[in-house]
Amino acid sequence: MKNLNTLLAGVFLAVALPFGALILSGQSQLGGLGRAAGEEGGALFPSREPGLAIQGRAVYVSLGCVNCHTQQVRPAGQGSDIARGYGVRPSVARDYALQSQVLLGERRLGPDLANYGARTSQINVETLLTDPASSGAVWHPSYRFVDAAQRTALVAYLKSLRQDYPSPEAKLKK
Amino acid sequence: MTQDNRSGRPQGRPPEGDGRVSRVEASLRGPFLLFFVSAVIWLLAASVLGVIAALGLGSSVGVLRDCAWFTPGRIAAAQQDLFIYGWGFNAFFALNLWLLAQLGRFEFRNGWLAQLGGVAWNLALTYGIARVFAGDMTGYRLLDFPREVGPVLAVAFLLAGFWPIVAFARRPSGHTFASQWFVVGASFAFPLVYLLAQLLVLWQPASGVVQALAHSWFVANLLQLWFGASALAAIYYFLPKVLERTLTGYYLAPVAFWTFFLFAGWTGPAALVGSPVPLWLQSTGVVAAAMMIIPVIIVAINVHGTLCSQGGWARAWNDTTLRFVSFGAVAFTLAGVLGGVFAFRSMSALVRFTSFATGLEQLLVYGCASMVVFGATYFILPRLTGALWPSAKLVHVHFWATALGFLAAVVAWLVGGWQNGQLLANPAVAYADVLRAESSWFLVLKISAVLLLVGHVAFALNAFGMILKAPAPAGRHD
Ligand code: HEC
Repeated sequence: MKNLNTLLAGVFLAVALPFGALILSGQSQLGGLGRAAGEEGGALFPSREPGLAIQGRAVYVSLGCVNCHTQQVRPAGQGSDIARGYGVRPSVARDYALQSQVLLGERRLGPDLANYGARTSQINVETLLTDPASSGAVWHPSYRFVDAAQRTALVAYLKSLRQDYPSPEAKLKK
Repeated sequence: MTQDNRSGRPQGRPPEGDGRVSRVEASLRGPFLLFFVSAVIWLLAASVLGVIAALGLGSSVGVLRDCAWFTPGRIAAAQQDLFIYGWGFNAFFALNLWLLAQLGRFEFRNGWLAQLGGVAWNLALTYGIARVFAGDMTGYRLLDFPREVGPVLAVAFLLAGFWPIVAFARRPSGHTFASQWFVVGASFAFPLVYLLAQLLVLWQPASGVVQALAHSWFVANLLQLWFGASALAAIYYFLPKVLERTLTGYYLAPVAFWTFFLFAGWTGPAALVGSPVPLWLQSTGVVAAAMMIIPVIIVAINVHGTLCSQGGWARAWNDTTLRFVSFGAVAFTLAGVLGGVFAFRSMSALVRFTSFATGLEQLLVYGCASMVVFGATYFILPRLTGALWPSAKLVHVHFWATALGFLAAVVAWLVGGWQNGQLLANPAVAYADVLRAESSWFLVLKISAVLLLVGHVAFALNAFGMILKAPAPAGRHD
């Protein structure tokens, strides 16, 4: 303890070991994920994102929607996500393999959006963003200041969000 | 007990009451005050944003709502960044430097370098915050700044935050104290963590969910290894110092230090239980979070053991510094215990994605770290400036407004989060009803945000008044 070098070496290991074991090995396990077919000869998923959705994601990030919305469905034993209809199966790492920016989120003030494009909702998203009070939502921040082009991209992005396809790691129940 | 003491005036005084400041402290004055004043200004800014954010909760129109700059997502990001990087870092640059200079009798000859670092840090921060308001953020909480800010902050950290290590290396005697280990650990760990996280999340983005993994690792390290370790250093210093006693079971402190550093770095993925990352990573995080109970218990023995003997609590309550510091110590224990318990799968399934995590985080960064910094300031500033705190009333306002404001918010986050989790777990409860139940806590959060702002303004008025009134440094050299 009296020796600075011992102290620094210990602290260095305390940072480097978890980094190597958690992050680098996580990267080597998941880094190679790409599109794959869930069933023999099936189509490859996840689908490539349309250009408009990529623009929409930038809007989503820049407005900080991730502060209140997650994009991940937990397995049945962990919370009620599937029972609540947030998805038909748990999210798996492969679902995010093509995304340049992964917006899993940490907080759900609003509902999860991982399958927003695949599930039904009573709330019209255009109204929700421009005039939340008349959209039927309990409450929502207003995004009236967002211009029409950006809003179109944002909505296209939201509608592109879906994880309802079979994946090698998560088969769909028949 | 002196007259001042009973009137609630903080007791920190120039040594021997002769108005002279020691050589060590005189050499720290410039950098310390730069860091401290910046910290308080950022704290005020963060508190104002906190009020705006809280007032906007539950309303779609609200103040400033039709303006992109003040959309809730950006306010939330800017508020957290200002609090963490503006207040938290500047405050601990000041406090950690003072502590290790004091313990190592370090006369700071290159103060200008630290000041340069401080200026660079604050300029980079200002730029980063402006970009966040303009919507140019990354989407990763606490790594929001566009990527060109990262390297500047890292270099600024080395200039501003590395001096405690130098002070430790140059200390005259071989004997060391727990406070020194914790500060050296914090000052060395953070730049490593920050650079690695920047690299993986922003510069050379890891693929897919590994970004989220790296992010969780970063946040856990930032909270524990910078805020937690720095706060512990101050607790281990001020408690025995002011009580003039050795800590109960102090021989266990090295175990607390090493277990704290060895486990903290692994706890990140505990925040990802149920997420699409490999199970073994989640489990490692959970185990590490549970192991953190070891340092938490040892700290509790050291700190609460001391406070519980020989009327320690009563004395702590009557001393301004210790009142804040022991508040922080209790918050640390609570955060540690709850953090361990709620990392387990079944518990985390219940509270995940609710405000519970905010409550835990705030227990550490506000309840513990910020309160400890406040307490330390009441001790240090009079010694550095050779002046007394101008107003005892403002000290009371500061303590009660921050303590009550914080307690109200923490109850809202933890109890509200728990309740929210219970409702969400039952799919028969409609989301709108979950939301209505959650909204009933918003009023508490609004009142709390205003209280915290009031407390911080009181603190700022008192501290700035004192710094401005202080005699010129030239008259105080030996
Ligand atoms: C302050 C928190 C907050 C922010 C920021 C926020 N939302 Fe919401 N969002 C909510 C809440 C709360 C609801 C639920 C409203 C209800 O059901 O009554 C919601 C609901 C939604 C829904 C409807 C979900 C469904 O299942 O019908 C969509 C779509 C949505 N938000 C999109 C967005 C987008 C896009 C942004 C960013 C531009 C955003 N939200 C920002 C809180 C927020």
